[in-house]
Amino acid sequence: MYKFLLCFKYLRTRYLAFVCIVSVMLGVATLIVVNSVMSGFSHKLQNRLHGILSDVMIETDRADGLPEPPDAIVARVMASPVGKYVEATSPTVEVMALLQFQVRNRHTGERIPITKHVRMIGVEPARHAKVGKFLEYLQRQKDGGVASFALTPDARGRFDFNRNFGDWEPRDANAATKLLDMPTVRIPQVPPMDAPPGMFLPALPVPDRVSAPPPLVPAAGPPRVPGLFIGHAIAHHTWKDPETGVSETINLLREGDEVFLATVGATGMKPVASTFAVADYFRSEMSEYDNTFVYVALDELQSMRGMGGRVNTVQIKLIPSAAADHELVHKTIIPELQKMFGREVGTNVVSWQQHQGALLEAIDIERGILNLLLFMIVGVSGFSILAIFTMIVSEKYRDIGVLKSLGASSRGVMSIFVSYGLMLGVVGCGLGTLLGLGITVYINEIEGFLTLVTKQQIFDRGVYYFDKIPTNIETMTVVLVNVGALSTSVLFSVLPAFRAARLHPVNALRFE
Amino acid sequence: MLAATNLRKTYRRNADQVKVLQGLSLDVHAGEFLSVVGASGSGKSTLLHLLGTLDVPDEGTIALNGRRIDNVSSRERDELRNTVFGYIFQFYHLLPEFNTLDNVLMPAYISNSLFKWFATRKEWRKRAEAMLERVGLSHRLTHRPRELSGGEMQRAAVARALLCRPQILMADEPTGNLDAEIGADIVRLLRELNRDDGITIVMVTHNLDIAATTDRVLRMTHGKLNTDAPAAFTRPKLAAV
Repeated sequence: MYKFLLCFKYLRTRYLAFVCIVSVMLGVATLIVVNSVMSGFSHKLQNRLHGILSDVMIETDRADGLPEPPDAIVARVMASPVGKYVEATSPTVEVMALLQFQVRNRHTGERIPITKHVRMIGVEPARHAKVGKFLEYLQRQKDGGVASFALTPDARGRFDFNRNFGDWEPRDANAATKLLDMPTVRIPQVPPMDAPPGMFLPALPVPDRVSAPPPLVPAAGPPRVPGLFIGHAIAHHTWKDPETGVSETINLLREGDEVFLATVGATGMKPVASTFAVADYFRSEMSEYDNTFVYVALDELQSMRGMGGRVNTVQIKLIPSAAADHELVHKTIIPELQKMFGREVGTNVVSWQQHQGALLEAIDIERGILNLLLFMIVGVSGFSILAIFTMIVSEKYRDIGVLKSLGASSRGVMSIFVSYGLMLGVVGCGLGTLLGLGITVYINEIEGFLTLVTKQQIFDRGVYYFDKIPTNIETMTVVLVNVGALSTSVLFSVLPAFRAARLHPVNALRFE
Repeated sequence: MLAATNLRKTYRRNADQVKVLQGLSLDVHAGEFLSVVGASGSGKSTLLHLLGTLDVPDEGTIALNGRRIDNVSSRERDELRNTVFGYIFQFYHLLPEFNTLDNVLMPAYISNSLFKWFATRKEWRKRAEAMLERVGLSHRLTHRPRELSGGEMQRAAVARALLCRPQILMADEPTGNLDAEIGADIVRLLRELNRDDGITIVMVTHNLDIAATTDRVLRMTHGKLNTDAPAAFTRPKLAAV
C-alpha cells in the first residue's frame, strides 16, 4: 500500500517529476506524429504507385514484345490455377520516347521547341481503366466513366484551327516520314527458346523501313487525329516567384494541340515517329509519372513500332481478396505465372510491389532510421529520469531510512521508485499519445496557422501535389511507441531504485 | 524479554576501524522502562539499532523471548520492526509530504497490501485517531509536519511508533531536540504508556535528569556497560514522574 501512496505523493509534490513527464510526453508525441505523417505519405505513395500498376504484370524487355499474342497469354492465364484469382487484364506496350512540341513566347511571339523524354504507353483505354486507377487520373474524363482517346468537339476545333491557321511545323504531314528515311540498324535476333511449336507468333521480319504512320492529311475527308493523354506536368509549367512565394502555372499544351513523338521500332534500331493530339491530361499526383507518362492507343503504338499484334506487358488485376493476400500473390500466383511465362528470355512476372521495390524499400528504410533517431528523444527522457530520480533518492535519503525502520523491505523501497518511474512513464505516455494524436488529426490546421504566423509555407503542396498533409494513424505503431517509452522509463528508474533499496537505515537515520 | 549477549560491532572506513561495541551483554525485562546513558560515541545508539534489528552485530546474539533475532532473514527483521519494535528518534523523522494522520498510519500502510488496506482501513484509521488523541494531537490530524512544533512532532512520532502495538519501544534521544519542559512532557508520556499499557521502553539519552526518571539506568563507556554506575541511576525516582 505504501508504495502506491508514496508514488502518488511524489508524483504530486515533486515538480522535478514534471520534467520527466514532459520529456516522455514530447518523445511519445513526436514519434506518433512523425510515424503517422510518414505512414500517411507512404500510404498515399503506395496508393499512387499501385494506381498506375495492376497487381501483377507479365512483362518483357524484348523490343518486339512478348512472343505470344496478348489474347493467348490471357487465355492461358485464365485456364491456369491462377485464373480464378483474375478480375481483369490489360495488354500494354511501354517504350521510352522523345516528345516534342512547340510553344509560343507570350511576349515575343517566338516559337520555342520543347523536347522531353517520356514513357510512351499504348493502352486500350476502356480495358486499362479496369486494372488500376487509370480513369481516375484523367482530368477531363474521370467523371465520365469511360476513357477514350477521342477529342472533344472543342479540342477538335482547336486542332483544326491550328492546322489551318497556325504555323506549327509538324502540320507538315511529311515531317514524321522524313525522319524515317534514316537507315535501319540490324540487331541480332534471339531465337525463341524451346517453346511448343505454334505457340508463338512468327518472328517479325526486319524491314528496311518501318512503315510510316498513316498520313495526317488523307487524300479526302477530315484528317485522322490520334489522341494522346499527356502527363499533367509535361503540359504545364509551374513557376514560383522567389520573392513573393506565389506559384504560377502556365498551360503549355491545351486539348487539341499537336505533339510529336519519336521512339524506336520493334525490330532493328529504326526510329519511328508520329504526331498526336492532346485528348486529356493524366494526373496521378506522382510527380515522376506526371512528368514522364504519355498514353496513346495500343493499336497506334503497335502500328507505329511495327509490332503486329504484340505487346510487351500484360497487366493483371486480381480479385480484391487475392490482391490483399501478400502471401498468396508472392508464394502462389507469381511462381505459377513464372512457371508459365518466365522461361522466355527477358520475360518476367512481378507484383506491383516488386516493380516499385526500390522505392518502397527506401521509404521503409527511411522510416526505420527516422524512428531510431527519434527514439533518442525517449532515450534523453530516460536519462532525465535517471538524473532526477538520483536527485530524489538523495533528497529522500532520510525518509527511506525511516520507512525501513518502520518495517519497509528493501524490495518494497525499490518498487517505490520503479513504480514511480512506471507512473511517470504512464502519465507521460498518456499525455504524449493524446498530444501526438491531437497534432496528427489537426496537423493541417496547425500547419495553416504556422504558415499564417510565419508567412512561410511550411508544407509546399506543389512538391507532392498533396492538397493536405497526409496522415495515417497505425494503432500498432502507437502501442509500440508507448511500450518503448514505458520500458525506457522503468529501465532508467531501476538504477536509482536499486541505490535506494541498498541504503542502510542506520546511515540514513544517524544525522539530521 | 530481550537478551543481548557479548555484542560486538565494528565500523570500518577504508583502513580505519572503530570498535563501537566491545562484548556488551544486556537483559531487558518485560514492562520495564530502561534508559542507557553515555557520552557521544559511546555506542548507545548502535546498541539500540542492534536490539531493534535495524543493524546486525558482528559477534554475539540477541534473543527476543528466547528466540534469536540477530540471524533471521531480512524479511523477518522487517516484520519485527513493523510489529514488535517501535522507534522514535531525536529528529522525529516524520515524512514531510504526509499529514499527521498519514504519518501515524505509515506502519499500517507498510504492513498491508493494497487490497488488505481497503478492507481494514476504517479500523486502522480509528486506531490512529485514538493514538493521536492519546498523545494529545487529535486537533492536528490534517497538519503537515512543518506546521507542528517540535514537541507535537515527537508526540506524532510516538503515536506512529505505537500504532502496531509493539512490545518494545526504542527511543533514540527522544528529548535531544526539545527544550527541557517539552522534553519532560515527552518522558511523562512515555512513562504513562509504560505504566498504563505495559510497553517495554528502551531509551537512549545523554540527559541524566531524564534518565533518572526511568526504572533502570545503564551507563555506557567505550562500547561497554559501566557497572560502576552511581546508585541514583539504578534506583528510579518514580515519584518524580
